Amino acid sequence: MSTDVSGSRSSTATPPAADDDGGASPAAARAAQRRVLRWRPDNGFAAAALRLLVALGGAMGLFAVLMLIKGVNPLAAYRDMFTSTFTSSTSLAGIAVRATPLILAGLAVAVPARAGLINVGGEGQLIMGGVAAMGMSLLLDGAVNGPVALVLMAVAAGIAGALWSGLAAILRLKGGISESVTTLLLNYVALDIMYFLIYERWKDREGSGQPATRALDKADRLPLLGDTRLHLGLLLSVIAVVAVYLVFRTTSWGFRLRVVGGNPEAARRAGLKVGVLLLTAMLVGGALAGLGGFTQLAGAEFKLRSGFVLGYGYVAYLASWLAGHKPIGVMLSCLLLSGIVIGGDSLQLDSGLPAAGVNVLMALLLLGVFGFATKREAAR
Amino acid sequence: MRTRWFLPALAVSVALTAAACSGSSDSASEDSAKADNAAEGAASTGSGPGAGSKKVGFIFVGPKDDYGYNQAAYAGSQAVKKAFPDMEVLTAENVPEDDNATRVMEKMIAGGAKIIFATSYGHLDPGLKVAEAHPDVAVVGQGNFISKAVPKNAGTYFGTVYEPVYLAGIAAGKATKTNKLGYVYAFPIPQTIANINAFQLGAASVNPAVQTYVVNTSSWCDPAKQAEAAKSLFAQGVDVITQHQDCTATITKAAEEAGKMVVGYHADASSLAPKGWVAGSEWAWADIYNDIVKTAKEGKFTGSPYNANYRAGCKDGKNPFVQSKFGTMVDAATKKLIEDQKVKICKDGSPFTGEVKFQDGSVMFKAGEVPDYAAIEKANTKFVKGVVGELPKN
Amino acid sequence: MTIVTEVFTGGIRGGTSILYAALGESVSERAGVVNLGTEGSMLAGALAGYAVAAETGHPWLGAFAGAVAGGLLALVHAYMVLSRGANQLASGLVVLFLGLGLTSLFGVTYVQAVAPTFSPVAIPGLSAIPFIGPVFFEQDPLVYLSYALVPLLSWFLFRSRWGVLLRASGERSEVLVAHGHRVRPIQYAAVVGGGMLAGLGGVHLSTAYTKAWFENMAVGRGFVAVAVVMFASRRPIRVAGGAYLFGAALALSPALQARGFGINQFALDAVPYVVTLVVLIVFGRRQLRDVPEGLSKVFDAQPTR
Repeated sequence: MSTDVSGSRSSTATPPAADDDGGASPAAARAAQRRVLRWRPDNGFAAAALRLLVALGGAMGLFAVLMLIKGVNPLAAYRDMFTSTFTSSTSLAGIAVRATPLILAGLAVAVPARAGLINVGGEGQLIMGGVAAMGMSLLLDGAVNGPVALVLMAVAAGIAGALWSGLAAILRLKGGISESVTTLLLNYVALDIMYFLIYERWKDREGSGQPATRALDKADRLPLLGDTRLHLGLLLSVIAVVAVYLVFRTTSWGFRLRVVGGNPEAARRAGLKVGVLLLTAMLVGGALAGLGGFTQLAGAEFKLRSGFVLGYGYVAYLASWLAGHKPIGVMLSCLLLSGIVIGGDSLQLDSGLPAAGVNVLMALLLLGVFGFATKREAAR
Repeated sequence: MRTRWFLPALAVSVALTAAACSGSSDSASEDSAKADNAAEGAASTGSGPGAGSKKVGFIFVGPKDDYGYNQAAYAGSQAVKKAFPDMEVLTAENVPEDDNATRVMEKMIAGGAKIIFATSYGHLDPGLKVAEAHPDVAVVGQGNFISKAVPKNAGTYFGTVYEPVYLAGIAAGKATKTNKLGYVYAFPIPQTIANINAFQLGAASVNPAVQTYVVNTSSWCDPAKQAEAAKSLFAQGVDVITQHQDCTATITKAAEEAGKMVVGYHADASSLAPKGWVAGSEWAWADIYNDIVKTAKEGKFTGSPYNANYRAGCKDGKNPFVQSKFGTMVDAATKKLIEDQKVKICKDGSPFTGEVKFQDGSVMFKAGEVPDYAAIEKANTKFVKGVVGELPKN
Repeated sequence: MTIVTEVFTGGIRGGTSILYAALGESVSERAGVVNLGTEGSMLAGALAGYAVAAETGHPWLGAFAGAVAGGLLALVHAYMVLSRGANQLASGLVVLFLGLGLTSLFGVTYVQAVAPTFSPVAIPGLSAIPFIGPVFFEQDPLVYLSYALVPLLSWFLFRSRWGVLLRASGERSEVLVAHGHRVRPIQYAAVVGGGMLAGLGGVHLSTAYTKAWFENMAVGRGFVAVAVVMFASRRPIRVAGGAYLFGAALALSPALQARGFGINQFALDAVPYVVTLVVLIVFGRRQLRDVPEGLSKVFDAQPTR
C-alpha cells in the first residue's frame, strides 16, 4: 500500500467530487464546483452503466449457482421474485415503507461524508431518535395529541439523533478519537439503552409481557398516504433528500463542507472554521437519522420493541457508499436495497429458500458494485 | 471522479433489469391471478373471512428447523398441506415481530392467501393490523391474547401449556436429589410465568422442600447465554433443569454433559440426553391447525371458537401440548401418580387448584378454588411461592 | 462456588470465542486492514466446525475446518480491500451479511445434528489450586489452546521477523517497498490469518461452549471483538484481558439471577462498549499514536488540526 495522499483520500469517505483538484484554494474549488454542476454526458456514463450491469449480472449468476446447489430453479426463482415484487402494489409499497427510515439514515452518512467524516452510527442515531420520540410521547401522556404531539416527537427525535452523533463529533474534535470508531461503539450503547428502557422502565404494564412500550395513540401516528401502507414519513424523507441536494449545491455551507472534505489543511489556510463545519455536518447527519427513527416509530411500528430498526443503520451506510454519498443516489440505493429484501420474501415464499438467503444475494450485489462496478483505484 | 456516473448508471441498470425480468412474466402472473379468482368463486361455500381460500399462510419468528417452537409450528403447517391437498401452503420463517411481519402477511394475502397463521407471540400486533386492513382474511395468532374486542376476522389459539408442564414438574420433583430445580426462560410473558409456576407447583405437590431457580436470557434464541445460564444454575446446586425458549438443544446437552437431569420443552429431545432425560412436553399442532383451516374455508370463522381467545386444554381433550416420553429414571409409581393427576386435571381439577400463594405470601387462588383457563391466564403475573428469582420490575 | 469464582470462570469460558476473534482482528488491523466482517467469519467457523465435527466424528477436524472457513470469508474481504480498493468498513459489513446469509443457507441440516464436542478437561495438579484452578484449569481444550496463542502471537507480532514485516505493512509500507518487500501478500496473509482465528472463535462457540449450531448464533460477539481490539490497542495480552472482562460482564447476569437477584441485563450488555469508549477517551491520544498508519487512513478521514 503506498501512502501517497490521493490514495489515502480516496480510500476513505472523501466525496469523490473533490478529488480532481483537492480544493487548494477557494477559487479553484469554486471552479471545480462549476465543473461538477455542468451536465456532461460522455463515455463515462455508458462505461459505468456497463460495469454496473456486469457486476449485477455476476452477482445474480453466482447466486443462481447457489440456488442450483440448494435444488431451486434459479430462472423460476428470479422470475417469481421480479414479478411478485414489481407487479404488486403491496410489494412496491413495502419497498417504500422500508426505505423511508433507510433514506434518512443514508443521508446521515452522506452529509458528514461530504466533510470527510465517516458516520457508521446511523443505527444508533435511528434508535435514539425512536427512543426520544417514544419518550416524548410518554412524557406528554395524552396532554396534547395529533400534529402538535407529532411535531414535538419529531423535534425530540432530531435532537436525540444529533446529540448521539454530536457526541462522536466532540470526541473527534476534542479527543482526537476517530468518529468511525465512536459511532460504531455508540450504536451498541444506544441499542442497550433502548432495551434497558423497554425491559423495565417503559414496559407496557397492560402489554403482553414481552419487552415493549405501549403503542402510540392513534392520533399520534403519522397519517397514511391514501389507501396504502405508505405514511407521511416517506414524504418527509423525500423532502430531506431534495433539501440536502439543494443545500449541497446552493449554500455556502454545503460548498464549505466539500472544501473541508477535500483538503482540510487548505480549508483551514483559506480561513474556514473546520471544527465548526465538521461538528455541524455530524449534527445535521445525526438529526436526519434521528428523524428516521421517528418516522419508523410513528409511521410503521408505533411502539418500541426489540428488533426496532435492527440493521437499518448498517444497510443505510452501505447504501450511501453505493451512491457515492450523493443525496438522490442515496434514495435510489435505499430503494434498491429495500427492493432486494422485499424480493427476498418471494425467495422463501415462492422458491422455499431459507429467509436469510437474501443476505447472500444482497452481499453479492454489493461486492459486485463495490469491487467491480467502479474503476480500480490507482493507488492500490 | 470514479463515481460521478455511478448514480445515473445505477438508476438505469436497475430499471433495465427490472423491465427485462418483469416484462416476460407479466402475463403469466395475470393469468394465474385470474385462475385463482375463478377457482375461488367456484369453491366458495360461504362468505366469512377466509371462505373458499385456496392458500393459507404461516409466519414463523425463527428458522423453521430450530428443533423447537418454530419447527413444531412448521410441522403443523405441513400437516395442513397434507390434509388439504388442494390448498397451497405458504410459509415464511425468520419473520420479526414488527412491521416486517405486516409486510410478509400482506404479501401472502396479495398472493391469494385468505387464512393467515401468525405463529409467534409477538406477531399478534402486526396480525391485527393486517386483519383490520383485510376483512375478508382470517388472521389467527398463536399464544397471545386479544384483550380488547375481538375483530370478526381474527382470534388467538393456544394450548394450556401449563398442564403437561405441571405433570413434568411432578416427575422433576421426584427426581431431584438437591431439591433445586432450574428454569431458563426467554421473556417474562404470561404463558412463561404460568409454566414456571406450574412446574414449581407440580414438583412441590410431591416434594414440599423443592424450589425452582429461574434465569432469563432476554432472547428467544441465544445459545451462548443459555449455556452460561445453565452453568450458573448448576453452580447453585440445581440438578434438574428445564426451559422455555425457541431453540433448546444447548440446555439439553449442557445438562447431559454436566451429569444433571433435564425436562424437555417444545420437542422430544430425549435422544440428546439419554442419561438425564426425565420427562417433557411437546407440540402436536396438526388437529387445531386443520380445524381452523376447515372452519375458515367453509366461511364459518366468524362466531366460531377461533374467533376469540381459544384455549384447548386437556379438559376438551384437544390440548396441542402433550407429554413427551419419560426417561429411564422415572419409576412405575411416579408414572402412575402422574397419570392419576392427569385424569384428575382433565376431569375437574387444575394445576392451580387452591390454595396457591405468590412469592410475597399473597393469595393467588383461595383454598379449594379450581380456576378455569381464563382465570389462570389472568392470574399468572407473578411467581408463586417456591420460585427463587425476581421478575423485571415495571 | 462463590459468585466471584463463577463469574471469572464464566468470563474465561464465554470470553474465549471473543478472544480468538479479537486476536484475529488484531493481526488484521496490525497489517492496516479493519475487518468488520469478523462476526461473519465467526459464523462461518461455527457452522463449518460443527458440521465437520458431526460428519467426521472428530472435533479437531472441525476446528481445522472452522478456521479454514473463517479464513475463506476473510479472503473475500482481503480481495475487496487490497486488490479492488473497496472501502474497508463497507466491505467488512458486506462480508458480514455474506457470512450470515451463507451459513443460514447451508446450516439448516446441522441444527439437529449431534456432533462430538470439546468438553472441559481438568488439568491435574493445576486445577487443585484454589480459585485459580477452577477458573483457568477446568476448561475445554480450545481454551487451553488460546492460553498458548496469546503469548505466541505477542511474540510473533513484536519479536519475530515476520511480525516486524506484518506491522510494517500496516504502519510504514513505503519502508517495506524500499527494502524490496512486497506489501500486499503480507497483508493478505494477515487478513486471512485473522479470519482463521475468528473462525476458531466460532468453533469454540458452537462445538465447545453451546454444543449446537444455530443460525446467527454469534449474536454480536464479533462486534464485541472489534471493540475489544480498540480497547486493547491491538496488543494480544491486553486483548486477552479485555475479552475476559467482557466475558465476565456476560456471565454476571445469570450468576446474579441464579442467586435470586433480578437484574436488567442490558445495563451489563453495554459494558464492553462503554468501557471501550471510556478507555478511548481517557487514553485517546496515546491509543492514537499506537494506531498503524494504514489504519488511520480508515479511521481518520483527515487530520483535523
